[in-house]
Amino acid sequence: MAKAEEYKMFEGCTIGNRIPFIEASARKVFDKLGIKTSEAPFACCPDPVGFNSTDHLSWLAMGARNLTIAESEAKNIVSLCNGCFQTLKAVNHELKHDEHEKEKINGILKTIGREFKGTIDVYHFVEVLYNLGLDKIKEALKIDLSGLKVACHTGCHYNRPSEIMQTDDPMNPVKLREIVAVTGATPVDYEEEMLCCGAGVGNTEEEPSMQILANKFNSAIKAGAEAFVVVCPACFQQMDTNQKKAEQLAGTSFGLPILYLTELLALAMGIKPDDIGVKFHRARLTSILEKLSIK
Amino acid sequence: MVVVDYELRKKIMDAHIQDTLKYCYQCARCTDVCPVSKVTDQRYNPRPIIMNSFLGLNTFIGEKNNFSIWGCTVCDTCDEVCPQKIELTEIFTVLKNMSIAVGEGPDYYTTQASTIYDNGKAIPMQAAIERRRKDLGLPMVEPPNVEEVQKLLKATKLNIILKK
Repeated sequence: MAKAEEYKMFEGCTIGNRIPFIEASARKVFDKLGIKTSEAPFACCPDPVGFNSTDHLSWLAMGARNLTIAESEAKNIVSLCNGCFQTLKAVNHELKHDEHEKEKINGILKTIGREFKGTIDVYHFVEVLYNLGLDKIKEALKIDLSGLKVACHTGCHYNRPSEIMQTDDPMNPVKLREIVAVTGATPVDYEEEMLCCGAGVGNTEEEPSMQILANKFNSAIKAGAEAFVVVCPACFQQMDTNQKKAEQLAGTSFGLPILYLTELLALAMGIKPDDIGVKFHRARLTSILEKLSIK
Repeated sequence: MVVVDYELRKKIMDAHIQDTLKYCYQCARCTDVCPVSKVTDQRYNPRPIIMNSFLGLNTFIGEKNNFSIWGCTVCDTCDEVCPQKIELTEIFTVLKNMSIAVGEGPDYYTTQASTIYDNGKAIPMQAAIERRRKDLGLPMVEPPNVEEVQKLLKATKLNIILKK
């Protein structure tokens, strides 16, 4: 068997510098599954919603610079974040397929002594887990999560625009659901599964953002979901940190724990909730941990 | 009186959006799936953005917080369903870039870009988070080369946009 590939870890600004407990669960899950990673001094990806809207050229140049850092070590990138994934994959795709654009960006990169070559690939951690194999994941699990009903939310930048991202079906993604199902938990069918979390418009106005979030929560609760499973820190923060605001707008209480996929897997692998810092969640996990008798 | 803004039209048509824009037949599938359109009674609506930018009718610039372009939540759903394969989100990006270049747009965007320019990261590392990472058994986040990032962003002229 070939030597296990080592990825450059791209935890991103939000996970690395604001909610590192997510990274703790990801690294523990990777360790259990034999997925190897190493660090690099990456800058901001940068944000495909904020920074790209501000200046597309700077977004391309910054993204390309990060790619050259991984290229210099001849290693592929694994991203823990939808936003970083979309930026790095889209920039990589654009520069690999557009000679004119590549020349322009390389002209800019030359000022810092770098050159984009297009020699590496960028993966979302869901793809890396999925490609490893559901059987391999199953072998590492110790606690059966049967009886737990969850709403899966891939978030937008995981698989759109599909022509570039090529991660999963753009309007009916299956990989997250299949990984969740391996733990014994049931992914519920809910009408608003493909609805955005609403974080993007929140940069401009709060009310539409909270209305979208409330609609998403209502739909999941109607389908019997007891928690959300997410794979993006922007969605995580919107759903966890802003849940109270959405409750105020909707005049109701949702009380839904928001789990990162790696947290769900870590718990199913028997890793203690305290070791992955679940206390840092705003929406408490108490209800589901009690239900599953996890201490 | 309706005034055609040829410069806007040229910028839109020059952007690498292939040649699909002119095939828009205003079917409004984009509006149907737009989550923001749904909750704002179409105060934000992707369909007229495509129509007006193709025609060169500049209804986008000239207002600090113009919701008719800045209401986009960047979910890329309209791109997926467009029967003419128009890359709507890319067109919206061109418009937003133009808005920022003339000093408009919500403060969030320039504040974030400024933070990235100053620190290399959208969220700078804090001592409290460094301690938390240590407690969680995480390795140190390798700091980015800020000097190099700033040199790069001067080459793209972001410093001028941000008045740095």
